[in-house]
Amino acid sequence: MIKHHPSDALLAQYCNASLPASLSIAIAIHVEMCECCQAEVKRLEAQNANAIFTQPDLSVDEELSDDAMSLFAAITASDDVDEVYEVTPQTILVNQQNYQLPRALARISHGKFMQMGKLSRSRIALDDGALRSSLLHIDAGGEIPEHTHTGFELTLLLDGEFSDEEGQYVPGDFMWLDGRHQHTPITEKGCLCYTVVSSALHFNKGLSKLLNPIGNLIY
Amino acid sequence: MVSQQPATRCEPNTGNYTAMPETPSQELADALSAVAVKRDKQAFAYLFTYFSPKIKRFGIKQFNSDAQAMELVQETLTSVWRKAHLYNNDKGAATTWVYTVMRNASFDMLRKMKSNKEEHISEDIWPLVEQHTSSDYEFSDHLENQQMKNYLDKLPQAQREVVKGVYFQDMSQEQLAEQLNIPVGTVKSRLRLALQKLRNEMGDRND
Repeated sequence: MIKHHPSDALLAQYCNASLPASLSIAIAIHVEMCECCQAEVKRLEAQNANAIFTQPDLSVDEELSDDAMSLFAAITASDDVDEVYEVTPQTILVNQQNYQLPRALARISHGKFMQMGKLSRSRIALDDGALRSSLLHIDAGGEIPEHTHTGFELTLLLDGEFSDEEGQYVPGDFMWLDGRHQHTPITEKGCLCYTVVSSALHFNKGLSKLLNPIGNLIY
Repeated sequence: MVSQQPATRCEPNTGNYTAMPETPSQELADALSAVAVKRDKQAFAYLFTYFSPKIKRFGIKQFNSDAQAMELVQETLTSVWRKAHLYNNDKGAATTWVYTVMRNASFDMLRKMKSNKEEHISEDIWPLVEQHTSSDYEFSDHLENQQMKNYLDKLPQAQREVVKGVYFQDMSQEQLAEQLNIPVGTVKSRLRLALQKLRNEMGDRND
């Protein structure tokens, strides 16, 4: 059972689109694997919708302005519909092991896996300011070496298992670490993770407006 | 040590949120389905009048700009008109559906302002369509190029069919028109649109 979830604050920011893309993707993946967070997202979306769409309009005049009329005409000029289709599942092969990518990553390209011992890393092709997202694969018996970043690191277990001082992790577990945390996860059978890291260097230089909410969570 | 959220929401007894009584929920849901089924302009006018001032107000808060707020109104209402068939009123209120459409449009606009790219990844994050586990990609073997397949996946169904038929199943435009039961002119125009889109996509990425 999934034990590690995004915080309430992260989930709320996810729902109103105020998180950067790479973190939104992480939460989207978790939410798809976690029924209770799914229900919470539905609840938050309904709540946001009510907050925005139930206020009475300031001016209650029924006549549309000329601009509105022409927008209406432009939109309805074509009867075409936008078909939206399901995403085809994508399978990737890392060190002779097949993994199915989560839906949210299926249409976003990622680079070749670079191997360093038991670790393989592939960069997700996402331009997201100071944030770097990757697929991280650890072979059976491998461990994530202790690292010294001063920003934050998000690890989302996609497949396989690992454990650390705190216990066992299962697919869907969402782990948010910052500079104050240290741990050395070890995997017995191997695992695939989605990771997002940010370095404090970038944070210090003042991130864009988009990233500011996260700053509060980290420091 | 791992920072973790005490998962209170993951315990039973999550209350349901119900729409406020003053929202004309039924009327909005009916209007959405009239737009979906009959392309009913009157129903859309009702949705348009109800939502546009509210979306605009939200947009001004979000972007701090009148022009961008108007762009959000346009993006959102265009999607409402063109994607109304995706709304399923068993799954939630019409206001919630319109909210998700607006939220997605707003996310894509913000990404575009930041990275100057027309990526539209919001639907990768918040899909508007239910996912099923099975897939019917009988042609996947023919498409060796993964990247090409990714681009194709971004086309609307109708355009994708035409591209698949002509380029991957070697059918003539006439054969395809017959198979899909549409005029040859429609095949041609879908193909033109699809290729235009593919070119934009691929040109953008291969720079």
